[in-house]
Parts: sequence; C-alpha cells; structure tokens
Amino acid sequence: MSGARLSLAAPGLLPAIRRVRLVNPLWLAVPGLLFLALFFLYPVARLLLLSLQDADTGALSVASYSRLFSRNIYVRVLQNTFTIAAQTTGLCLLLAYPVAYWLTSMPARRRQSLLLLVLLPFWTSALVKAFAWIVLLARTGVVARLLADVTGSAEPVEMLYGRGAVLMGMVHALLPLAVMTMLPVMTQIDQQYLRAAQTLGAPRAQAFWRVFFQLSMPGVAAAGLLVFIASLGFFITPTLLGGPKDPMLGPLIITQIQTMLNWGFAGALAAMLIVTALVTCAVYDRVFGLSTVSGGTGRQREGRSWLATLGMAGLALVANLHGMLSERLARLLGGHRFNWIVPAIACTVVAFMVLPILVIFPMGFTSSRFLEFPPPGYSLEWMATYFGSEMWITATLRSFGVAFATALATTALAGLAALGVARGQGRGGGLIFGMFLAPMVVPHIVCAIALFYLFAQMSLVATDAGLIIGHTVMAMPVVFVTILAILKNYDWRLDQAAATLGASRSRALRRVTLPLIKGGLAAAFLFAFIWSFEELTVAIFIGGGLKTTLPKAMWDDMLLQVNPTLAAVSVVVVLIVVSLFAVAQRLRRE
Amino acid sequence: MADPRTGGPTRRTLLRAGAGLLAAPAVLRPAQAAEQITIADNGGPYGPAFRKAFYDPFEQATGVKVVNVVHPPEPTAQFKSLVDTKSTIWDVVLVSPGHVWRLAKPKNYLEPLGLTPAEAPGVMPEMIWPGYLGIDVFATTLAYRTDKYGENGPQSWADFWNVQKFPGRRALYKQATGPMEIALMADGVEPSQLYPLDLDRGFRSLDKIRKHIAVWWGSGAQSTQLLQSGEVDMLMIWNARAQAAIDGGAPAKVVWNQGLFSSDGWSIPLGSPKAEIGKKFARFCTDPARQAVFTEFLSYGPTNLQAYDRIDPKRAALLPTYPSNLKLMRQSNDEWWGDNFQRVSERFEDWMLSG
Repeated sequence: MSGARLSLAAPGLLPAIRRVRLVNPLWLAVPGLLFLALFFLYPVARLLLLSLQDADTGALSVASYSRLFSRNIYVRVLQNTFTIAAQTTGLCLLLAYPVAYWLTSMPARRRQSLLLLVLLPFWTSALVKAFAWIVLLARTGVVARLLADVTGSAEPVEMLYGRGAVLMGMVHALLPLAVMTMLPVMTQIDQQYLRAAQTLGAPRAQAFWRVFFQLSMPGVAAAGLLVFIASLGFFITPTLLGGPKDPMLGPLIITQIQTMLNWGFAGALAAMLIVTALVTCAVYDRVFGLSTVSGGTGRQREGRSWLATLGMAGLALVANLHGMLSERLARLLGGHRFNWIVPAIACTVVAFMVLPILVIFPMGFTSSRFLEFPPPGYSLEWMATYFGSEMWITATLRSFGVAFATALATTALAGLAALGVARGQGRGGGLIFGMFLAPMVVPHIVCAIALFYLFAQMSLVATDAGLIIGHTVMAMPVVFVTILAILKNYDWRLDQAAATLGASRSRALRRVTLPLIKGGLAAAFLFAFIWSFEELTVAIFIGGGLKTTLPKAMWDDMLLQVNPTLAAVSVVVVLIVVSLFAVAQRLRRE
Repeated sequence: MADPRTGGPTRRTLLRAGAGLLAAPAVLRPAQAAEQITIADNGGPYGPAFRKAFYDPFEQATGVKVVNVVHPPEPTAQFKSLVDTKSTIWDVVLVSPGHVWRLAKPKNYLEPLGLTPAEAPGVMPEMIWPGYLGIDVFATTLAYRTDKYGENGPQSWADFWNVQKFPGRRALYKQATGPMEIALMADGVEPSQLYPLDLDRGFRSLDKIRKHIAVWWGSGAQSTQLLQSGEVDMLMIWNARAQAAIDGGAPAKVVWNQGLFSSDGWSIPLGSPKAEIGKKFARFCTDPARQAVFTEFLSYGPTNLQAYDRIDPKRAALLPTYPSNLKLMRQSNDEWWGDNFQRVSERFEDWMLSG
C-alpha cells in the first residue's frame, strides 16, 4: 500500500535479522498444519475422491461431473449462490464499516460494552433468529401492522419469502463477523497519522479517506473474504426466508448426502463450491490485494501497480468529492458539520442487529404455545420447562465446556501459525494461508461426514473430544484470519526496539507483542468460542445424539414444532454470556 | 469409505495412540451389553410420547433399559455410516418407508426383523416389511383457515387450484414429494391411478397454480406457523403439524379427502450386536394397547387398527388411520420415489427457478 504503511524493516536491517533468526518462523505453523492434515485434509479428500469413483465398481469415473454439467439446474443454482453471497458481502461491508469506525472512535471501556451488544445476535441459534424474523415480518406481524397504520393502506406489504428477506437474514447473521474482523485492524491504526495529516493541512475528509480508510483496508478485505465464503455455505436462512427463486448450493448438497445417499454426486457439488471459493480468493487477491492479509512481503505489489494507482486515484476523487460536499453544506447550513451522521448510521445498524433478540426476550416468557409477538400474555412455563429438564441443562453445560476447549485449542494452533506466516519468509506463507482457510470453504456437512468415518476408526464418535476436534477444524479459518490481520498491522519495529534495548525474543514477545495484540487475540478466542457454541452439523454427526450440545438440542426440539422453550433457552444463554462478560470486565479493571 | 486397503497398520496404530491421548478410553458401551439398548427417534413430541407408550413399558416388561436419542429428520446418511463403520451407537432407529427403500437397495443396510403379519394381529399388512415395521401413520393433507372460508372451505386439490371459487393465499412444500401428486390430483387424476407419476402433466398443472402460491415452505415447523398466524389461508401440510396449530387455538380444519399417507417405524442397522433385543422391542410395539397410548400425545394414527378400541372417539376422528379418514386417502408410493427422486427433484428445482 502507500508510504503511510510501515514496511517490515528498513532494507539495511534485513540481513542482520536473517542472521539472528536461525529457524524460519514458518515452522510455527507446523502443529496447526499437522492437525489440519489429519483431521481435515485427509478425511475430506477421501470423501471427495468418491466423486471420481463409480458407486458400484469403485472404478475411476467422471459420471458425477458430467451429470453436474449436463443438467443446467446445478450451474444455475451455483450462479444464484454466488450472487446471493456477493450481495450479502457488499451489504455487510457497507453496514459494518460505520459501526466499526464508530466503535474505534470511542474510549476502550465504552467500546467493550457496545461490542457486547454487537455480538448479542451471535449467541442465538440461526433457527431461532430466522423464526424471530418470520414472526416480526409476517403479513399479520407487528411491523406490517405498523406500516399499514403509517401508510393507511389496507393491503399488507410482502416482506418475507423473497430475495430481500434472505439478504436481510444473512446480513444480520454475518454482521457481527464483519464488525469483529474490521475492528482490531481499525483500533490499531495510530491516530497520530491522522493528526499528522491534519497538521500538514489535510482537511478531515482527505485525512479520513487517504489515511484512515486506506490503512483499514486489510480489515475490510479480511471481513469481505470471510463473509463471502461463509455465505456460500448458508442453508437455514435461505430455506426458511427465501422464495422459489433463492435456492443455494448448501441445501442441495445436504439433500444429496442425507436424502439421496449419493455421496459421489454430493462430492462433485462440494467440489464445485470449493472451486468457486478458491477462484474467488484468487480474483480477490488480484483486485483487492488479499496479500495484505496473507503476508509474503515480497509479492505484495507485484504486477498490480496500475490497480494500486487506480485505487489511489479513486480514493483521491472520493476524498475531494466528500470534502467539497461537506464544505458546501457547511457554508449553506452555517458551519454545521454533520458529525452526528456516522454515529446515527452506526446506531441504526446496531439496533437492527439487536432487534430480533429484543423480540426473543418477551417470547421466552409468553403464555402462548407458539412464538408470537407481542405475546398474548406472560408466564414462566417455558423457563420452568428449561430449568426442570436435565437434558437442557446438560446440553447447556456441555456447550460451554466444548466451546471453551475449542477456543483454547484453536487460538493456540491458529495463533502460532499466524505468527509464523506474519514473520516468516518464503513462498510457504501463501500455502499455509490457503490451508488454514480451507475448512471454511468445504460445506460443513461434508466435513462432518468425513470426520465421522475417521473418528469411527479412532473410537472418537459420540465423545466430547470428537466434538472439540471437529469444532476446532471449523473455527480455524476465522481465528487464523483475525489473528493474522492483527499481526500484519502490528508494527514489528517495536520488537526490534525492544531487542535493541536488550530484550530476548521471548521476552519481547511476552512484554511487548502480546500486550499490544491481546485485543485481537481476545476477539479470535471469542470467535472460536461462538463458532463452537453455534455449530450444528458436527454436533449432529459426531455427537450421534448421545453427546448433545445446545444447538443440537434446539434443533431436535424445533424440527416439527417451534415452541417457546427455544426462546427461553436463548434468553438464558444471552443472560449467562452477558454476565460472564461483565465479570470479565470487572476483573480486568481491578 | 472405510476402505480396508487404505489403512496400513503403522498409521492405524498411530491414530489409535493419538485418539487415546485425546479421548480417554471410549470403551464405555460394551461393558453393559445385554441390559441396555439405544433407540434413535425423531425427537420433539415423539420422545415423551414413545417413552410413555413403548420405552418405559418395555423396560418394565424385560428389564432392558432404553436410552433414547434424537436423529436428524433424514437419518439415512447416519444409518449408512453406522453400518459401514460398525459403530453401533444406535440399536433401533425410527425411519420412514422413503428411507427404507434407499437403505435396502442397491446395498442392504437393514437387519431382517423376521416378523410376519400373522404374528401381529390387527396391524395393517402393508406396514410389515422384511427390514421395517411401521408403528405410526401420518398424512399429507390440505388444511384451511375457517375464519376465512367458514366450514365450507376447499374440499379437494381441484378446489385448491380453483382460485376464482376460493380466493386467498396458498402455500406448498418446497420439494417435489407431495406437490407432484397434488398437482396431478388437481388436474383430475384418480388417487388410485397416480403412480407412476405423469411428470409432464404434473408440471403443466403446477404451472397453473404457481403465481398463486404465496409461500413455499421448507420445514414442518414453518408450516404450523403459516397456518397458526394466518399468513396463508390454505396449504399443503402434514396432518400433525396442522393439528398442532388447531390444538393451540388456530381456527383451521384438516381435509382428509385426497390425502397421502405414509408411516414411521422401526429398522435395525445391519449387523447390530443387539439385533435380537431390537427385534423383541419391535415386536413389543405391535401391541394395540401400547399404540393407543402415543395417540394421546401425537396426532398420528396407530398401525394396529385394534388400538381404536381404546382411543377416545373424539381423538380418534383426528387420526389418519381412523377408518373414515383412511378410506379417503391413498398410500404414498415410496418405492417409486426411491427410484425417481433424483430425476424428479432436479426437474422440480429447475421449474421453481424458471418461474
């Protein structure tokens, strides 16, 4: 990126550092790579190979692939999946940016409390959220009635069962991920740069677009990539909120595996999804510069100079327009600067994120047998059902335990690897990056079945250890990208300074690096925790119904009937999480 | 999958060692063999209903403890994996004929139950198969809101298609199974002549109703919600899902005419070490007195029609196998679907996208 971005080390220093460093830090990625090779690459490759075999004879066959392309339905669904994922990503970035920016501008303590709000929707199962939207936006729902009162029209507006509803549901589900990925990068941007720019005469608009916006791009790129790839595999939201024209590939793969038992063909569909994701990564890299996240200092700008120039010119244009506009308006309105606009937008987005949770709370205390809003009356019946059930309590405890173990394991493995990639040299970095991102690209159901076959050989089926390993595989990409984004933005000259002052490398790591990146590490840990806490597919297959986690218990309960116990469970979980956070914050203050 | 050729001894030993470190010995189950079986059912309302009707009484009668777990709505993939890897975590599994056909061919994954109709007096003979015993019957039906149409709502699928006579919002299932048959009946095909399905005619009929379908629902819970909240005025729905809305106070009615019925029942994974206890359990569930009990909790019909001697007549009239309801319906041909689902659902998805 520009000169404002700090290069890794002054050219003269590099050979000196190389001499000190006897072992390439890339080796730090080895434990994580071994873990992924055994619990991800090997089982998934074995399953995908089925797509190249004849189901009866086992002989090499491309029948699955010729079927894929001889029916136009699969290619059409793939296009559709791609479009929905792209739209979701665009909207997510657009909405998440002002929120992350606003959070960056406030004092750390207030930021922590607000972050809690942003993360709230993450703690509620995707199914419960989908039903909250259905209840809210139904033709007979509260929003439709409000709209009818305002507009005075008798015919209710159709809000559900179409592309709009699908996008809204998916954006809502993925916004926390986007905000949380952007935020650590933004908070790391040294505010001094902005002040420096202003001291040198840059108006606020120029300083923002040319300095802050640019420096925040690694976070935006990481968020975009994660959101896009995560949305490729969505299935609950499009199934429940979508119309006939919103099919996605995820549900099709699940049907092939679960209903048709045609695993060869499912493998072919999964391969198509994986290829799409990989191509996207490559294109993204080319256009937006994924390499700012993925490391490999040598290849950061090669061959993209015209793009970089174009990007800079675009930014300059935006900055000028913005500056001109705000000056004109300020003159017109007597010096009014619209400082409230960003907070206003951010608050609206946060309100949108919290809305379904606010609806779920009263529904947990409803006297109705159904999810209705507003509830016709209130009762403690559903809370009593939850607390009186050994099954629910056991599942809740197991979920917290498994999520905690998963978060520890993932942060350790992915953190080491990210450190290796951020500091290492050579072409290995890109490969490692791809490997750590790969579990995200493979549909969860493919992972889960592949792991089932492996775990059956290892007596890990229906064990907590099996669940933890499975969840660690799934959580790896988000955690890796989050930590890497932090490390790439970290000013390594601070470590050099420490070394110059006589600190050993481990001491520098302990006393300088870790304290400075702990916000990012905490975010990564939280991601892994939430990922595991929400995960359903592995829980179904590896748990085998014998080791039931909370999402699995909720899923079992709502297959045929959505009853308010689920809302009660969500209320309890949200309350537990909020109090855990409060305690953690209190402890840190003392 | 569990290919014996790929597993060299060295690697396997390594894996075991790794697994041991991570998991601690997972040899929990064989120790208590003989005294316990694990039964996987559909969960939700099934769990407590079957506990009362079958699990507890079986424990009392035999001393065998029944542990019950919940499987996903399509348990076939897990069933297959269990047999392939000889992981005997489930001993008896609740499945539907649609699953059974896919688990019986091309490769058989089902343990023969060895039950003959003569040994189960009163049980509908079409519910007894070599590897499957049906214990409850559910139906795909039409249901409508009585606050919209009064008591004289649509009575057939032709009425459902008749948007002049019955204006209102409609919903159908998002998959081919069900809507295809319904479209053919709406077009005048006799229920007895449905299979093999005339696909061209079915899609032509679907073309006529497409723009009047307000919602294509994707899960059973969602269909209950649609009927209960009045989001739609009539829809294709599984009878128990409609009954749940009605029991909760929704003004709605189930139409049995031209319904399609199917069943849930027990199968045992091939080679299960507890197959003998499992078979004993399946046989136990043919008892009409036992079957009568679950109808108090689930709006499904018993497969042993003698159970109606013990069911309150008011409740009985709401169940699919109640004689006056059963004679209005026909059984869904799950064998035909087993052979054709892939082809038909590809065409159905394509049709949905092309509208």
